[in-house]
Amino acid sequence: MTGKGTPGAHDVPSGNAASSLPIELRSVSKSFAGIRVVHSVSFDMHPGEVHALMGENGAGKSTMIKIMAGLHQADEGEILVNGRVVKFASPKDAHAAGIATVHQELLLFPELTVAENIFLGQTPKTRLGTIDWQKMRERSRQLLDSLDSGDLDIDQKVATLSVGNRQRIEIARALAQDARVLIMDEPTAALAEADVQRLMAIVRNLRDRGVAIVYVSHRMPEIFALADRVTVLRDGHHVATKNISDVDEPALVSMMVGRAIDRLYPAKQGTDGDVILELKDVSYRSVVRGISLKLKRGEILGLAGLVGSGRTETALTIFGITPATSGEILIDGKAQAIASPEAARDLGIAYIPEDRGSQGLIRMQTIEENVALANLKRLMRGFLVDAARVTAEAKNAITKFGIRARGPEQLVRQLSGGNQQKVVLGKWLATNPRILIMDEPTRGIDVGAKAEIHLLMRKLAGEGMAILMISSELPEVLGMSDRVLVMNGGRIVGEFDKEHATAEAVGTIMTRTFTNGEAA
Amino acid sequence: MTATKLLRHETILAVLTVIALAVLASLSDKFFTVENLLNQGRLMSEVGLVALAMTFVIVTGGIDLSVGSILGLTAILLGVFWKNLGLPLPLAMLAAIACGTFAGWVNGFIITRFRVPPLIATLATLALYRGLAEGISEARSVRGYPEWFFFFGQGEVLGVPFQLWLLGLATVIAAVILGLTPFGRATYAIGANETAARFSGIRVNATKLWIYTAAGFLSALAAVVFVSRVTTTRSDMGTGLELDVITGVVLGGTSIFGGRGTIIGTVLGLILIQALKNGLSLSGVKGDGTIVVIGLVLIGAILAGALFDRNRGG
Repeated sequence: MTGKGTPGAHDVPSGNAASSLPIELRSVSKSFAGIRVVHSVSFDMHPGEVHALMGENGAGKSTMIKIMAGLHQADEGEILVNGRVVKFASPKDAHAAGIATVHQELLLFPELTVAENIFLGQTPKTRLGTIDWQKMRERSRQLLDSLDSGDLDIDQKVATLSVGNRQRIEIARALAQDARVLIMDEPTAALAEADVQRLMAIVRNLRDRGVAIVYVSHRMPEIFALADRVTVLRDGHHVATKNISDVDEPALVSMMVGRAIDRLYPAKQGTDGDVILELKDVSYRSVVRGISLKLKRGEILGLAGLVGSGRTETALTIFGITPATSGEILIDGKAQAIASPEAARDLGIAYIPEDRGSQGLIRMQTIEENVALANLKRLMRGFLVDAARVTAEAKNAITKFGIRARGPEQLVRQLSGGNQQKVVLGKWLATNPRILIMDEPTRGIDVGAKAEIHLLMRKLAGEGMAILMISSELPEVLGMSDRVLVMNGGRIVGEFDKEHATAEAVGTIMTRTFTNGEAA
Repeated sequence: MTATKLLRHETILAVLTVIALAVLASLSDKFFTVENLLNQGRLMSEVGLVALAMTFVIVTGGIDLSVGSILGLTAILLGVFWKNLGLPLPLAMLAAIACGTFAGWVNGFIITRFRVPPLIATLATLALYRGLAEGISEARSVRGYPEWFFFFGQGEVLGVPFQLWLLGLATVIAAVILGLTPFGRATYAIGANETAARFSGIRVNATKLWIYTAAGFLSALAAVVFVSRVTTTRSDMGTGLELDVITGVVLGGTSIFGGRGTIIGTVLGLILIQALKNGLSLSGVKGDGTIVVIGLVLIGAILAGALFDRNRGG
């Protein structure tokens, strides 16, 4: 450490006020490959508080978290635990200091039981040195009960559990380590609404027991419901730390993006044109049931519904991944058999999938390789791929969509979520589509990038693009769509125009249980 | 930038190959003679032809264990078509090559249509094709091919063995296809992330089918060269060929997990192995010793590659 701290500060309690803080970072800086990603940021945690850490992707949140968790070592500045300067050389040191992390990608062992996972690495032993199963199961039980999670079976294999349940196990594991600081990195990103409520209850429970919780999330409602304080980072700089009661959502957003965002959802431009895509009674096995819909040029049609209601499945059928088993798909009034994604692409259909990492991108390849992938036929000179045009295409996408990257040759996996999504968009818009299907277009993306993507969607629609948008975020569906279709059980169960699409109306029909046949 | 990154493993290999050649040359004065080197090229050609196709197969994340059996089956069919069925030899050659190509297509069909993992599918056809070869040949070898036929395996053009020209031409074609065409891009994309490739409108199954068919074709071509070189057809020809081929490809830096690899790397890997085999035997090292050295070199190359990969970070 090339510390700026006063010499000899090691192991000296520094001031009474600070002595009880479970963790405090003073003027911490960190660079990677000569690029400073954290500039002299200070951050502290009080026992029993929820402290939200906010900022756009690339603002330095992840790096800050990793410094606290011992995964990265700060170049400058110091870390104090209980008023003593400490150095975390590895995550093990951070654990020993009472700092635990619940990661975005849950790090559990699917083939082990709940109890084994909770106590992995710190298994209680009998006097003979073998595993004390009884004690382990008892303590697991206690831990889960204390998290209001008595419903989890401690002998079940983790592989069989939902994401929400796995997360509770990770939290129990952190508690088993006597964590005093719990870092939660976007804990609700992959959760369904019911699990979110449950998680929030657990977070409050932990707070009341005196655990300090660093809470990273893009979701504003959670921040305002949970946090006591909020710290905003931008481009690696500390912007502000405030009590949550002193800020409102627009203020937070403008602190994060460094400018005021005047309206959340851009207004409609232009008017709708002719019907370009029409589905007549389209079905795919039993997951897509008799879907009929019309999509016009210049229109954004929202497809609402719960996960598993058939929204994505309908999109996949239109895109030829799971070709329709019955019914007709008409493009410009002409019936088309769409048997494969390449057929869909050649008809001018583009699909931005919900899972960027596995469906949208090849993460180990570069930006230019990804951008060219759907468009290779057009980027040829003779039999060969025209490397110069591929690079030009990628550069074009980078400037047009404002992708923050070193250049077309940067690996996609090194980009932030928002920038990765822009690469997917760049890839598909390069094919000059007329119909754009966007499945969860802003999932896991920060506020600034989200607003940019919304603006882009409006601009494309204004230029005559027909957009079918699937989203699990009701505010996004209601804010962006000109018309909303609601799906439930593989069927379309409701249609609303912009004026009548309210959260109550759409939400009710989304979650209603339909008896067979009623919905048709 | 990309080119230098990709070539990093190939650079290590090239340096390694040069060192090996220098050491081997100092160990035996017979090693670094034009005659010996050309002869080694001749011996390398059959493995080399198959390795070109195998590079594509492994880049897609697959494997083809049946190439040795396809070689054996094609060799037998060549003899049977000519001797037993009385076809003119040129026709018999074409028919046998067509059969070998079809055997490759069957691999691809099983893998793409029924979604059988390539390892399992080609393990099964490894046994199937070899069994067919043995059954058809009834353990009899075929001899007595006309003199002109030996040109493919023993003849020379401008002082260079015929099959080296063939290998050279095939290498250039393979390198261009993998490195510069949409087909090559699709091959890498499939190996790196098959789902994303499909979602990008890449014809995943068609691409794979072509690649396994090409593996059959090149194995069949190698069979003709092989029969011509040794003047006899036997049903155990090409046994274990798949291991030599895969060793060369992996030594050449192709990732067994798919998504990475180059033809240049494969060629360098093949040259290094062949040079070690020949040079060590010329220097009086026994066969077992040679295998040990090849094993060590393979491990070393993979470790060096992994080390560079880690340094690349990310």
